[in-house]
Amino acid sequence: MLLTTAAYFSFLAAVFFAYWLAARYRLGALAVVLFANYFFYARWDLVYLALIPAASTCDFLIGHALHRYTRPGLRRLLVTLSIALNVGLIASVKYFTVLPWVLPLALSFYGFQSLTYTIDIYRRDAQPAGSYLAYLASASFFPTTVAGPITRLSTLWPQWSKREMLTVQDGGKALFLIGLGLVKKLLIADFLAETLVNRVFDLPKLYSGAEVLAGVYGYAFQLYYDFSGYTDIAMGSALLLGITLPRNFNRPYAAQNISDFWRRWHISFSNWLRDYLYFSLPGLRSRWKIFAYLNLVITMVIGGLWHGAGWTFLVWGAWHGVGLAAHRGWLALHGNPKLTFTTGARILCGLATFHFVLIGWVFFRASSLSTARDILYQIVSGSISFANITPAFVLVLAIAAAAHYIPQRWYDGGLQLYCQFPYYAQAAAIAVLVVAIRYVAGSGSAPFIYSRF
Amino acid sequence: MLPPTFPKKTSLAIATLGALLLLLESAKLARPFTLAEVVDFRPRDIPSVEPLAPIPPSTRPVTAFRHPIIEPNLIDQHDNLRAFYLALWRTELGAPGAITRVLHYGDSPVTADSITADVRSLLQQHFGDAGHGFVLIAKPWAWYGHRGVDVQGKNWRIAAATQVRAKDGFHGLGGVSFEGDTGATSDFELAEDHAQMEIHFLRQPDGGVLTVEAEGQKLGQVETAGPDKQPDYQTFPLNAGARDIKLLVERGPVRLFGVSFERNAPGVIYNSLGLNGGQVQVVARYFDKPQWNEELQHQHPDLVVINYGTNESIYADYIEHSYPGELRQVIERVKAAVPRASVLIMSPMDRGQRDSNSRISTVPTLPRLVEIQRQIASEMGCAFFNTFQAMGGEGTMARWYDSQPRLVSADFTHPLPAGARKVGVLLDQALESGYRQFKARELRRPH
Repeated sequence: MLLTTAAYFSFLAAVFFAYWLAARYRLGALAVVLFANYFFYARWDLVYLALIPAASTCDFLIGHALHRYTRPGLRRLLVTLSIALNVGLIASVKYFTVLPWVLPLALSFYGFQSLTYTIDIYRRDAQPAGSYLAYLASASFFPTTVAGPITRLSTLWPQWSKREMLTVQDGGKALFLIGLGLVKKLLIADFLAETLVNRVFDLPKLYSGAEVLAGVYGYAFQLYYDFSGYTDIAMGSALLLGITLPRNFNRPYAAQNISDFWRRWHISFSNWLRDYLYFSLPGLRSRWKIFAYLNLVITMVIGGLWHGAGWTFLVWGAWHGVGLAAHRGWLALHGNPKLTFTTGARILCGLATFHFVLIGWVFFRASSLSTARDILYQIVSGSISFANITPAFVLVLAIAAAAHYIPQRWYDGGLQLYCQFPYYAQAAAIAVLVVAIRYVAGSGSAPFIYSRF
Repeated sequence: MLPPTFPKKTSLAIATLGALLLLLESAKLARPFTLAEVVDFRPRDIPSVEPLAPIPPSTRPVTAFRHPIIEPNLIDQHDNLRAFYLALWRTELGAPGAITRVLHYGDSPVTADSITADVRSLLQQHFGDAGHGFVLIAKPWAWYGHRGVDVQGKNWRIAAATQVRAKDGFHGLGGVSFEGDTGATSDFELAEDHAQMEIHFLRQPDGGVLTVEAEGQKLGQVETAGPDKQPDYQTFPLNAGARDIKLLVERGPVRLFGVSFERNAPGVIYNSLGLNGGQVQVVARYFDKPQWNEELQHQHPDLVVINYGTNESIYADYIEHSYPGELRQVIERVKAAVPRASVLIMSPMDRGQRDSNSRISTVPTLPRLVEIQRQIASEMGCAFFNTFQAMGGEGTMARWYDSQPRLVSADFTHPLPAGARKVGVLLDQALESGYRQFKARELRRPH
């Protein structure tokens, strides 16, 4: 059940009404959420109905055991067991086919979230969940199932306990986020993909250097709008149930350097990598500073390989790892200066960072290293033809770029305005959007890019 | 009675939105939707196309089938492929010098040796490998490529019949002319040994000199000067292990059309002769007739495949009015040049486009174009391979685009390597099945 389909929104509306009707009874509300979670998984494949409750129960029990026992050896064994369980779950669905059929939904985001629970308890950063039901509902929370945002479970289940009603502001914001997510995904990301990006990445040698470059720019914005569109819908869906999910994007292409980029792009993932992988690698407290840099590269390479077991993802991860290490090295060399830039310098830094990221995207998107090489070769060949670049593509790309850089206050203003609309105007605005999507984007939509990770 | 925590405004907004969408759906402004979709637990349909089983190389001569296989997509009612099948038979028997030569003219997939590389490899596995065949002097477009031969050229003025055409219409066998002044070079890297190479060049007044090297050793020179402009050929033997070939214009101007690599062994040579944007009108209008005749005759082909149509397929008026005449012209020219060769019209692949509902559907004029090709092939004594139907007919592009792994590019026109292989296998299977039926008939015939 893709988050852009009518089936999903019908399901969401049903869950919304059932949840708030049952909300005065905590147990009832949790039961509604848990039923919704497992219903959502079952729509992808019935086998998840066995996998998810079993895995969640194991982690719940391991969490309590970690809290209860103090012997370091036993605790290490328990946390290792949880890591093996969740990494095994991710890997078995993602890299090895253990079933006679392919499971449509990777369990990466489920696994990452579950690991935050047991590792946080192991580090004594969090308490185990008091309620089994609350844990199950949090671990499999349906809006985060497909592609995050990766949410620390310890921040999720306390939210089930609060007895506050959904404010008018939050209700409006939830609908606004869902509408915005649909626009990002169906009107921008899918359009860019269909009109040029997919073609260029399929057979780059068929296109001129200018067309390939336009396709690569298009991909940068396609990926952002696809993923952030999904995130908006997920956040809006959760907010309809009064649950706040962490922010995942903050205008990443406005980053001034590569470290800044990773503070703005897929924030929940980069935080997860930092907190649960980078800080866990050996040598960080060593007097050998090289470990800090080496571990950055290792972390990003593992992060790259999580996207898929292939050379392209390895190169993408290494590219960012080396970039981050180089930036950190430069800062260390200059005594972590507090830099103030002129507007021109800021624009130059932003453009340099964007293009550094862009080169990484070529490897991220290309089906093989040879395709990535062909894409880069076509771009540097300098051949110019615009035959395959339609005015509509240029227009949507321009809108996508401009919308990315609009000031935050414009976005906040739009949100405030929407929240102040009467209910019928809020509904009418989304209905108009649905009709626009019907005419511009046609039927159906491509799966979210990150749903396969 | 609603609980006090019930979010009234948001609930009203959602209920109103639901009502509005129902209203819009009844007015056909929103997408049709049934609530049953929400509770549809059937496994998600991931279209897949069966992977192709590897075809083992034959270890013994192909024998006639007792029950000939009917090949529905290869129409050869009047034994039009007889010359090709007889050549294959001779090749199969392994007589010295029994080479079956195929010229496959086509558009962009063929120019990347896509489809043709797979047919070549399969036919050569089964009947013997007599060499790679024809390769252009440099890449006229980045997309150009041949499996098993890497070509890099520098400083050539390139005139492709589909782009910047040669004024005299001399485009050689492959449809592209290369003119180089002193210093122009081409490097060929062969994946396998060949016994000889043949340079296709234009003899012309004031023609220059070309040096040919293999593995850094000079093999000889080609003097291209002559009293008149006419295509000519010069052959150089290649020693075992000679895989890096260099052509260097010692003194310009030199005009080349391509290089053919051959082995001294019975087998198949399958020449891939693709042009980006290729159409029958390019051949009919821009290939100089006598020069192309000469090139075709020099090849002594047993089969000429004419595989255009994709680029024409979106022009309904052209298809109805001009296309049949131009296709006939091209066939006539081939038949006049090489009357003993079989001619096979190979239809284009399916071609998709997004329809008004954003679904990928077959370009409406494509089936009509395929039908015209079939009729003309039948009228003019040519065999016909219906690639479009063999792939699965209408809607194939949508299925191939949605399949895992994907078989076609997002332009719904060009095959990805797995898709090209599938089409190549389909053509090979049709030809080999036709050949077996032919053999079975011949063996049954009283002598």
